[in-house]
Amino acid sequence: MLENIKKEFSTRTLVFIAIAIAINIVIGQLVFYLKLPIYLDSIGTVLVGALVGPWAGAVTGGLSNLLWGVVPPPLQNTFAVPFFYVAVVIGLLAGFFGKRGVFEKESPRWVSVLIGAIFFFSLTMFILAFINIDTSQGFAIFPSMKDLVSQYAIVFVLALAIGAAIGYFLLQNGGYVGLAGLVTGVVAAIISAPTAAVVFGGVTGGGTDLLVAAFRASGGNIWASVLAQGSVSDPFDKMLSFMVVLFILRALPARFKAR
Amino acid sequence: MNSLSIYVARESGLHKLNPLTKFVLSLCILLGGLAFSNALAGYVILFAIVTPLAMFGGVTKRMYQLVFNISWPLILSVFLIQSFFWGAGTPLFEIGPVSPKLEGVLFAFKSSGRILYVMANFILFSLTTRPDTLMISLKQAGLPSGLAYIIVSTLQLIPQYAAKANIILDAQRSRGLETQGNIVTRARALLPLVLPLVISSLLEVEERAIAIEARAFNSNRVETSILEIPDSQSQKTARAGMIIITILLIAGRFLWQLSS
Amino acid sequence: MAIVELKNVTYKYPLTDTPVLKNINAQVNEGEFVAVIGPNGAGKSTLCYTVAGFVPHFFKGEITGTVEVAGSESSKSNLHEWVLNVGLAFQNPFNQISGAKYTVFEEIAFGLENIGVPREEMIQRVNDAMKLTGISELADRSPYSLSGGQQQRVALTSILVMRPKVLVLDEPTSQMDPIGTREVFGVIRALAEKGMTVILAEHKVEWIANFADRVVALHEGEIIADGKPSNVLTSDLLAEKGFGLSRYTSVARKAKAMGMWQKERLPVTLDEAVEGFTLTLPSPKGRGE
Repeated sequence: MLENIKKEFSTRTLVFIAIAIAINIVIGQLVFYLKLPIYLDSIGTVLVGALVGPWAGAVTGGLSNLLWGVVPPPLQNTFAVPFFYVAVVIGLLAGFFGKRGVFEKESPRWVSVLIGAIFFFSLTMFILAFINIDTSQGFAIFPSMKDLVSQYAIVFVLALAIGAAIGYFLLQNGGYVGLAGLVTGVVAAIISAPTAAVVFGGVTGGGTDLLVAAFRASGGNIWASVLAQGSVSDPFDKMLSFMVVLFILRALPARFKAR
Repeated sequence: MNSLSIYVARESGLHKLNPLTKFVLSLCILLGGLAFSNALAGYVILFAIVTPLAMFGGVTKRMYQLVFNISWPLILSVFLIQSFFWGAGTPLFEIGPVSPKLEGVLFAFKSSGRILYVMANFILFSLTTRPDTLMISLKQAGLPSGLAYIIVSTLQLIPQYAAKANIILDAQRSRGLETQGNIVTRARALLPLVLPLVISSLLEVEERAIAIEARAFNSNRVETSILEIPDSQSQKTARAGMIIITILLIAGRFLWQLSS
Repeated sequence: MAIVELKNVTYKYPLTDTPVLKNINAQVNEGEFVAVIGPNGAGKSTLCYTVAGFVPHFFKGEITGTVEVAGSESSKSNLHEWVLNVGLAFQNPFNQISGAKYTVFEEIAFGLENIGVPREEMIQRVNDAMKLTGISELADRSPYSLSGGQQQRVALTSILVMRPKVLVLDEPTSQMDPIGTREVFGVIRALAEKGMTVILAEHKVEWIANFADRVVALHEGEIIADGKPSNVLTSDLLAEKGFGLSRYTSVARKAKAMGMWQKERLPVTLDEAVEGFTLTLPSPKGRGE
């Protein structure tokens, strides 16, 4: 196995990892400035995992978070540092899925339909939650999931339908990728929760804090609310990352993938 | 050194130390500090350990500037969220229908202490250590040179790529891309910014790899260094000592936790 | 004495059907300055990579024939040894900066560090190389703060310091502004005059005409001409294939067809053109010349 690990780290790979880390950080900051409630700081990691392998992906992820704390402001983000192990796991999973051909194998349409539906359901939940922030009491109160669904039942049904359609037509045979992203996101949410809870008391200074606050206000303790926050934003974020990587891979010239 | 790292060159005792020594010192303060769960622990470490070191390095003012600039939003959030959303607890006073809870404020106080000392420690290290000399020292101590290469070249590449991203941002904006407005507008700006950046970067990988291969990189030979990094026996002993103390502190904490 | 010898070299990149190099036969003698010209896609870069060993060791693919430099054969060697004999610089100066070093001085030493040269010798060699290429005053600057021309000169210096027997340059001025181009050509010329064996792939034929010993014309992977610049760059063959002619040559060809060029040989450079046309055209009257 040691031979396999060594093989993964040719000069090309080392250069690729360096560039992928830069991509992670620059895109992550871009998203931050666009004030979007996602991270999208793993595109480089997933790319390396998919094109090279799990170990290279793991190194890319781990180093990205660690180095993000070291770059000078305005690019700096110290809060990414304690979560480096999450990024390592994302790289490992991306590599694992890559080796299984997830980024190449065509999935049956129904998988894409399902993934699309789930994706859009959570996206809708996300957006409606933000739009329906109740600020009448002087600070932000989030509606609970149950309220949202009952209030906007039609919208959610529409979202499921649209998601299914988009999954069918747009994602087409890339359903496995969406699934891989979903799985990775859930794993990421679970393993990052302890650190978020312990280190920050659940607060990271980003757009997802409000989610934490919301869950806390609805009665959960720190652990539960951080987990809940993660389980909404992380799967979403990772699914998005995986799908962006899929689009990138499809846009690349063929000889690039001959490694 | 331009904007590639926070490093500030000074003629100070701290700067003159071997980078490995500073690395170990930083790590030990970080990990050792976590062994204490007292609410004031973070502040004690900040004022009694990190600040004197900063003075030894002549960078006290800069360190505090950076620490506050970076951490005030987080600390504010911590206080607001933990006080107001604590759930059941002792209310302190009332603002309309809501009231901050004492437990929340105390928790925020403790968290902030931790955040501050971790950050100050880290920033102090970055202010007084050159990344490339640190990598050379680590390489000589056994770090794989591939890893060292990745770290240093990434640090130099990031500002270049940020500049590239800005160029792409301007180019797309001049083509009518909207980056402000509601969330959907902002989200749509994402792919036209991300795709060109990533693809142009990937095409560079091959040429860069060729360029360093042409300089015999990754060739499994024994490497030398053109920079000479001073070290001393006393520093080596100090490093070993710090590591041992930190391990004892953490082990002690574990045992104390298990017994209670 | 041939220091580079290519015999019947045919090469195909992986996953492709058409060979990019077809039956290449060429020799370069020690100290010669050979220019390689050809339209885009003719195989100039591939030829450069082949002499430099990256074909086939880096790019893989299928290669037949032999590539010999200083007695060693490329297929029997590995890339790590080969780069010590053949230095390579290419178009994009930004991509040639290793990124591993914070100053130009250290950047140049990067290759020597990788080979394991002792420190005192490194310092000496770096200083000598910088003097040779005229960049000594850039020693403390960050490589990323330099202009394109400066970066390219740093790249050249970084390769030269490794003392290769042959220097291969793949269109090093394509991405330069005029000042950068002049700086880089100045360095190349100085090296050639000092006796370095240089293989330069280039488009700028006027410059080549003045300084190259030989010109090799590549077209669709094959060598279609190989000889002195004054012969190759004025040949009908190149005119037919549609590349490699300087403006002066093109104009003089037309002039010759109209009976207005009297010299036997077509011009390549401005000076030759002026000389030739002065014979044909009447001297201007009433302009006080």
